[in-house]
Amino acid sequence: MTQARKKKLTARIITAIVLYVLAAILILVSVFGFFLRGSDSIQNNLNTMRTHAVLHAASGGLVDSIASQARSDKLKELRARKDFRTLGLDEVNSTCDAAAAAARAEAEALYSNATVQNAAGLENAINAMEKAMSVYGGLREKERAVYSDLYVSLVENVPDWTDLLSAAQEDDAKLFSSLATWAEDLSVPANAHLQDGFVKLAHSMAEKEQAADDAELLQQLTASMVGAVSDWTELSELDDEALWEALNREVEGFSAAEAFKTDLLKKAKEYISAAEKGETIAVETKDEGAATVYDTVTDYSFFTASDALNAASEGVESAYQQLWGELNEIIPDLANLDKKMQKTIRTTLENTVWSGGIDYSSRYNAYAAQEGSEALSGSAAFLMQLSALARNILIAGIALCLLASLFMFWDTLTKRFGIPRTIITLFFIYLCLAAVLYDISVPMMLSNVMIRMGMYGILVLAMMPGIQCGIGLNMGMTIGCIAGLLGIVLSLQFNMTGWYGLLFSCVSGAILALPLGWAYSKLLNRMKGSEMTISTYVGFSFVALMCIGWMMLPFNNPKIIWLLSGHGLRVTHSLLGSYAHLLDEFLAFEVLGVTVPTGLLLFLLVCCLLMWLFSRSRTGIAMSAVGSNPRFAEASGISVNKMRTIGTVLSTMIAAVGIVIYSQAFGYAQLYTAPRQLGFIAASAILIGGATVRKAKVSHVIFGVFLFEGVLVLGQQIANAAVAGGGLSEVMRIMISNGIILYALTQTGGASRE
Amino acid sequence: MNKQSKVINHIKSYAVTYLFIALSVFFIIVSRLDLNYVASQLLLRLNRNAFIVLALIIPIVAGMGINFAITIGAMAAQIGLLLTISWGVTGVQGILLAGAITLPLAALFGFLIGKLLNRMKGQETIGSLILGYFANGAYQLLFLFIFGTFIPLSDKVTIVGASGVQNTLNLTGSVGLYKALDGILLVPFSIVAYVIAGLIAVYGIIQYTRKSFTAQKLAFCLVGAALIAGILQIPAVANLFSGAGGRQMIRVPVVTWLLIGCLCLFNMLIMRTRLGQKFRAVGQSQTVANAAGINVDRTRVIAIMISTVLAGWGQIVFMQSDGIGTFQTYAAHEQVGLYAGAAILVGGASIDRATNLQALVGTFLFHSLFITAQSAASNLFGDSAVGEYFRAFLSYGVIAIALVIYAWRGAKKHKSGGVDLTKVEKN
Repeated sequence: MTQARKKKLTARIITAIVLYVLAAILILVSVFGFFLRGSDSIQNNLNTMRTHAVLHAASGGLVDSIASQARSDKLKELRARKDFRTLGLDEVNSTCDAAAAAARAEAEALYSNATVQNAAGLENAINAMEKAMSVYGGLREKERAVYSDLYVSLVENVPDWTDLLSAAQEDDAKLFSSLATWAEDLSVPANAHLQDGFVKLAHSMAEKEQAADDAELLQQLTASMVGAVSDWTELSELDDEALWEALNREVEGFSAAEAFKTDLLKKAKEYISAAEKGETIAVETKDEGAATVYDTVTDYSFFTASDALNAASEGVESAYQQLWGELNEIIPDLANLDKKMQKTIRTTLENTVWSGGIDYSSRYNAYAAQEGSEALSGSAAFLMQLSALARNILIAGIALCLLASLFMFWDTLTKRFGIPRTIITLFFIYLCLAAVLYDISVPMMLSNVMIRMGMYGILVLAMMPGIQCGIGLNMGMTIGCIAGLLGIVLSLQFNMTGWYGLLFSCVSGAILALPLGWAYSKLLNRMKGSEMTISTYVGFSFVALMCIGWMMLPFNNPKIIWLLSGHGLRVTHSLLGSYAHLLDEFLAFEVLGVTVPTGLLLFLLVCCLLMWLFSRSRTGIAMSAVGSNPRFAEASGISVNKMRTIGTVLSTMIAAVGIVIYSQAFGYAQLYTAPRQLGFIAASAILIGGATVRKAKVSHVIFGVFLFEGVLVLGQQIANAAVAGGGLSEVMRIMISNGIILYALTQTGGASRE
Repeated sequence: MNKQSKVINHIKSYAVTYLFIALSVFFIIVSRLDLNYVASQLLLRLNRNAFIVLALIIPIVAGMGINFAITIGAMAAQIGLLLTISWGVTGVQGILLAGAITLPLAALFGFLIGKLLNRMKGQETIGSLILGYFANGAYQLLFLFIFGTFIPLSDKVTIVGASGVQNTLNLTGSVGLYKALDGILLVPFSIVAYVIAGLIAVYGIIQYTRKSFTAQKLAFCLVGAALIAGILQIPAVANLFSGAGGRQMIRVPVVTWLLIGCLCLFNMLIMRTRLGQKFRAVGQSQTVANAAGINVDRTRVIAIMISTVLAGWGQIVFMQSDGIGTFQTYAAHEQVGLYAGAAILVGGASIDRATNLQALVGTFLFHSLFITAQSAASNLFGDSAVGEYFRAFLSYGVIAIALVIYAWRGAKKHKSGGVDLTKVEKN
């Protein structure tokens, strides 16, 4: 036994050492690459590449144009032939392609070796172009950033664009100044040039608002139509007018629908034909799903340039004319190209000369994209590539280093933290390093992580009393979440805003959670041993039941119900007009670009402190005893059921407060199926923090929510930077979240039962 | 007295089923749907879903609860289907190829699932549910980033210019997998019903001549057969199926039904083998089974492997018959476990007992509610969305109630001194 273990240990250490050596080599190579970047010869090589790339870009456009000309000539020739009709499509294509390829080869041979007589002139022209482009590009980026900030704050803050427009009464200046009340920086004189753009934006937003309202109304009308008409086949013989009348008779509230007559008639006819074929009629309910409203995406189509930017743009124009002149001297045929081709060449040239940055790798990549490396001989090209890849090599080296440490200290780490926590923590460290290397803004990231910590913190805290009192992971905390959502909807129903509304939501949510949690705990007390299964499905069922509940409850504030049917709550409720971000922005301050949501974090800390104090109290200690060893607790005179009831009720009530805090930080309250997975998220966070299904501490909550959200935020950014297309971060979330719960389940010690 | 208590016991243990029968009848009436439509939809859905539901039986008998990880079997089947489409194999050959690919994949996955569930005894239901969620992450990873980049696929299924498999794949047209099994042989329902009635009668007579049936049982068989044939003579019923009066003629996809029948037979026969005895022994008491020299862990792994492979094949049967022949690449497997689990529980199965009949009855009842819920709710509440939510509530609620009832009984048994495994494990 010990022999085998020793063998295993040596194998592991040898693997670790090999990995360390590999990592060291990689890191050294990358340092060498970074070091090379500074050297003169490399800089010269880079310039050589640039010249070659520029020439290639210019001649490439010409070659493309010649090839496509040859292709269309060939096609014309074929068309003229008598037997054209007998030729297959494939044959025609292949003949034309062959012609184009031949012309391309010929043109390439002709132009790619164009002799440069005035090398210094070309070099100067390129330098001037680069300079002008970088001035222009830098300025443009700055102005666009200003625009983007303004855009985001307007889009997020303006409550009703239509109102704004009607108040201004076609007076652009007035509209602009009223917009400035929602985004203060707009009134700064330097931003005066943006007026036209933002006025247009206001108009387009108002139109969009109108369109969204219309679409909603139309959907409701369709739904009520389907609800009211029992047999569509009866309507099949009617013409448009008669059908419209019949619908008006059957459906209440159709008189408001005159504007949608054509759309509704079309729908009705679809239903009639479906009914005749015997298909089921289902209203496509637009699934709003989980609205991802974290970030407003800036639409730049309303951007207007300032005078300074226009001047810079003219600078670019003249520099380009100079460059174009030089190129024309080298390749005279360029002048004969048509306008469209010239424009394409210009775009390529601009992207080659200045690709958005002056750092080594972006320059190298831009030149390499235009075959710039052809200008260099073997070893020089290799060294260039090496220093361009230095960053990626460094990241790989660090990853290997972490992996090696994992092997080296496997026993110590897993014994202390457990396998998944070790892996997740190392993964987090790796993500942090990678974030630095990928130029991801660290302050923004930190602000994001802090907000999300505050957002999910209380929900994760709700897991704690459940674990302590012995019911394990309380997946049924969604019951509490629904009570909290009811609290929010109540506050909206009575138009409560500000601190008053937030407080009311929390308190009423918690009060509603009390009886629900009590009944739920009575159920769980009879189900000892299989609480997690039961609580998961009770939670799911309750969410599904409340979906019907949200439809049926007698709320009647027009702001929160479906307008036309006159009953049923909407899916997503914006809290922007009431108390969104109230806690986040309370005493919030900015340090080194990091926005600290003081109120949110303070609230979380106070709740954690209260929880800690509670767990030190007599009841709290008794509760933990029940959780960790029910037999022993019972023997020492503690009422197990009572403690479990207290814990479950507490967990449910905290969850109710948690969802209110979550929604105010999110800015939206989501009903219906949205809360279903919250239990899983909270459970995985507290488990990542180090809790087990028997024991949990406040530190587990804080550490867990930090690590979980940190990995998610960083992972999302890095996945987006590294791999094109989203989805990877979502996959990561699913696997981490469920993987850690699975691990916790295996730790409950089933295997001992045999 | 004894008989009376028997009846009460029967009603007690099938309370959920009777409740659902009542609910189904009520819904069919309230929905005001054409019976012909309901019947055709029901047959279609029975044919489509029964296979997967039947795949749940063996793990239940082996004491592993409802195996929600059958979603992983469905994922294996979807990988098989994807490769089949990509390679351009059509028709029955395509289905057979997909099944052949599914077999080793699902067996491997089943082996891993079994190993993992052995480490969480007593928590298999929730464990398999979460395992299904976890596997969904891996599945998305595979389909989004690995297929098409590391594993070459034809551009029929990939997205040009991006990584990953298309969102929806078409099974109709030149792909030729839609209704590839269902379409082989379609026979009018009444003929199938007569054949079934005949088979029941012949079966009764054979068993009687072999002396394994009493006269009473024989009579029962004969009367049943006569009833089926008789009911079909009533014009209203006959019209319901024959498509008179402009309605649809209801036809039965015989090959699929035969497959389902084979699976029922397999489930029955395997219980008579040594392996089946082991399943049962392990399901009743692991401690006793262990003492009797049965390798408990190995038996459980085998049960899950069989279930996963069957679920995979069930998913192929489902996909070739489903809807209008589109394959939702990223979502087709998501509700498999939920609907199958709910269906078998509705049929009166519990966490530790299940039979073929319960699975079939459950599928029938669950889907009759499914078909009618929307129209019924829109007639009752004037809102069709309620029906949609009601369906979801039914699925989750049924599982929750079954779990609660089971746990409740277990707790009672424990109090009255019986052996309750969940408690033994806790301490």
